[in-house]
Amino acid sequence: MSRIAGSTRRSGFARRTMALALAAAMVIAACSSDAKNTKTSTAETTSASAAGSTAGSTAGSTGGSTTAPSSGAALVIARGMDINSLDPSRAYCDTCQIFMTAVYETLIGLDPKDNTTLEPRLATKWESNTAQTEFTFTLDPKAKFADGTPVTSADVKFSWERLQGLQGSSSYLVSRIKTIDTPDPGTVKVTLSAANSAFLAQVNASYLGIVNAKLATTNGATADPTTDKAEPWFLANSAGSGPFALESYASGSELRLKRNDAYWGAKPAFPEVIIKETPQAVTQRQQLEQGGVDIAMQISSDVAKGMSGPDITVKQVKSFNFVYLALSPGAKGGEKLTPQVREAIRLALDYKGLVEVTVGGAGQSQPSPIPNGFLGTEGLSPPAQNVDKAKQLLSAAGVTSLTLDATYPSLNVYGVDFSTAMQKVQTDLKAVGITLELNPVEIAVWADKIGKDGIPVTMLYFAPDHIDPSQYAQYFGLLPKSQWQTWTKADAVPAETDLLDQAFAAQDLKARGALYTKLANAMIADQIIIPIVNPDLFLASRSDIKGIHYSTCCNLDLSRLTRG
Amino acid sequence: MKRYLAIRVAVMPLLLLGIASIVFIVSRLTPANPLVSIVGERNLTNPTIVAAAKARWGLDQSIPVQYAKYMKNLLHGDLGTSFTTRRPVLSDLWDRLPATLELTTAALCIGVLFGVGLGVLAARHRNTLIDHVARFFALLGSSLPAFWAGLLVLYIFYSRLGWLPGPGRLDPRATEPGRITGFFTVDTLLHGDLKSFKAALLHLILPASVLGWGVVGIVSRLVRASLLDEFSMEYIKVARAMGLRERTIVNTHALRNALLPTITIVAFTFAFLLTGAVLTEKIFSWPGVGNYAVEASRKLDFPAIIGVTILGGVAFLVTNLIADVIYAIADPRIRLS
Repeated sequence: MSRIAGSTRRSGFARRTMALALAAAMVIAACSSDAKNTKTSTAETTSASAAGSTAGSTAGSTGGSTTAPSSGAALVIARGMDINSLDPSRAYCDTCQIFMTAVYETLIGLDPKDNTTLEPRLATKWESNTAQTEFTFTLDPKAKFADGTPVTSADVKFSWERLQGLQGSSSYLVSRIKTIDTPDPGTVKVTLSAANSAFLAQVNASYLGIVNAKLATTNGATADPTTDKAEPWFLANSAGSGPFALESYASGSELRLKRNDAYWGAKPAFPEVIIKETPQAVTQRQQLEQGGVDIAMQISSDVAKGMSGPDITVKQVKSFNFVYLALSPGAKGGEKLTPQVREAIRLALDYKGLVEVTVGGAGQSQPSPIPNGFLGTEGLSPPAQNVDKAKQLLSAAGVTSLTLDATYPSLNVYGVDFSTAMQKVQTDLKAVGITLELNPVEIAVWADKIGKDGIPVTMLYFAPDHIDPSQYAQYFGLLPKSQWQTWTKADAVPAETDLLDQAFAAQDLKARGALYTKLANAMIADQIIIPIVNPDLFLASRSDIKGIHYSTCCNLDLSRLTRG
Repeated sequence: MKRYLAIRVAVMPLLLLGIASIVFIVSRLTPANPLVSIVGERNLTNPTIVAAAKARWGLDQSIPVQYAKYMKNLLHGDLGTSFTTRRPVLSDLWDRLPATLELTTAALCIGVLFGVGLGVLAARHRNTLIDHVARFFALLGSSLPAFWAGLLVLYIFYSRLGWLPGPGRLDPRATEPGRITGFFTVDTLLHGDLKSFKAALLHLILPASVLGWGVVGIVSRLVRASLLDEFSMEYIKVARAMGLRERTIVNTHALRNALLPTITIVAFTFAFLLTGAVLTEKIFSWPGVGNYAVEASRKLDFPAIIGVTILGGVAFLVTNLIADVIYAIADPRIRLS
């Protein structure tokens, strides 16, 4: 009897539970519908508020709704931070470029409208000798650091000598500096060990920002790597003259900059800038759409699709970043990569298809390792597929079938997934009888392999440090001991060294452009570096954020941003 | 029992040294180049920059010398400096551990509460629709990848419905509360900041639920099985024959015994959660140890890898010990020796 009663009770309980579950589901569905309506109306409110410049409206008090920021609120940027250091002599990353530009000013700035015109910053004027070996800078007497002390030639000398001495990742930019003289506090005279017409462009690189020598020295900074103790201090403090100063940094979480209220130039609009660690493009989009952040900087083309509405602005801009294929004839297993075979590979690739597959068409093909838009790239023929000619070349080379190791770093850079790109390359090469054995690995494993045995076919990316094309010739050209000459073990091409030396010695812009065109063509003829795609950048922001520009030297100049 | 505990605690440092040694050797023998995360791939063939980096990080010395130096420092409580954050590993772990602990504690609470409830419900309604639904829910939690579940709940509850906040421990513009415990929910309360407490609590819900869902699966299945075992025992039949209410029989008698094996699982699960919150932390931009571990292994950051491993070792050893002690307290028949 009791069992039966119990059973009846249980089935009654079951029915009640089911009824409750059903009711809960209906409530959730109803609420969900309400929430969607609320979201729409919230968007309208925010839009109206933005249009009327009324700040402080609340999109909701709980949950995911976010209070709309007031005009004086902090600017929040979502991006995957790749910070390796905040010490100006050691920092070297994309986020570091933003940080350095905001905190440590360079002698020369860059007009963001054209990304080519140099403009005064800490230096009011500069001149060089005709041999391009001596450069003299006159400092702005008004320039001062955040602590109020004036920026002097001694600070410039200290900053660049420390960069040179510590041999951090960006120290190659000052490798040609022989001496730095400071005849007076307002004048800096730099003598180079060899001609370098790219020096002014290098001075514009964010990594050549000027540090308050006295403050840095007090906190352990020296130019000697064995005695320098300042890196931990720089992780919590800054010593620059820029429009912002470091407020705090929590690795893997956020970087906070506060406005330098003693800034000697035009005061930036935002009292605080927060860069939040947000590695996923999807999450960046969600946070932007919900109003949690103001700018999302690493939106890929597929994530950018469908981003629209009055609250969000998505700018698609041309970048100077690119992803490339590298062929190494000197690598173990790459012996058959003769010039003919390399040319066949170049001709076998479907460049339009690669742009389509990797970034959904949001990008360009790039003829040479010097990106489109750089000096000397005008008029270069875009790469084109010619499968028949590729087959003829392979036949002439006596290659009927070829299998190559294609180890590459498993990365997703500038919205380009390397695995997707390599699969497309594999398909294209299969059509001409070349088999690629794809092997995605972590970049540390890739670095070990390419440094030891080399890799016959691999993929990597490049973003510029400054606006001069010389960096591409130095990195990709077959100059003795250049990065890719070393890795591919290809024979050095003396003509490229001569061309670069001539370009370094040339003062006239037109003459330099012609020399870089020759260098670009020489690198195309090398068939070592084959650019795959030059992806566009998607700069997504709340519609009330103005002044967003992609900068070659500096990524994003925070001081130019405003709200409303 | 005291002697047993003393021996277990005394052996721990030796075990940790052993773990550190194994990880040190394995990481050094891995065919990979850590310099790529120190100097960047663009400087790997620059001999001057590479030499300076090797000298600075001690990578120019032989592996035995590096090992001897590391162990000497370790014995002094120095876990070295991270290649990537450029800070002492101990400081990094100290800063990030509370975030992970807060997340895993919340996940464990969710997992145990829902897991026990679901297990009891499934056992009481064995082979009914409730049982099937409960088992399906548990299976889903155990089998759904945290990465996918994380993106899904963010899309539904943050992006579409707007019910709950998105990634991070607080709203992006909010300032962290002054550190007392490092648990934002606790520190905001201690500072009397109820608005921030609410924000911290709401930010915890989605990641803790994703992480705790897997625990729900494990705990509910275990509780269900244990309860069914108990239901077949004589004392339960006697209780039913005596006319006791079903709720009393389950909650007071059967569940108490059925929960014993759950203690061990919960303890181990906590350690697993501590070391396994990696994907959840990544998806929710949670600045914890999991995120740190991912970056460390991706960049072959030797000191950080060993530091995280030692922390994981401590977590397992301590939770294991706690489980043994609780087990002994809960079941008077067990004597630790």
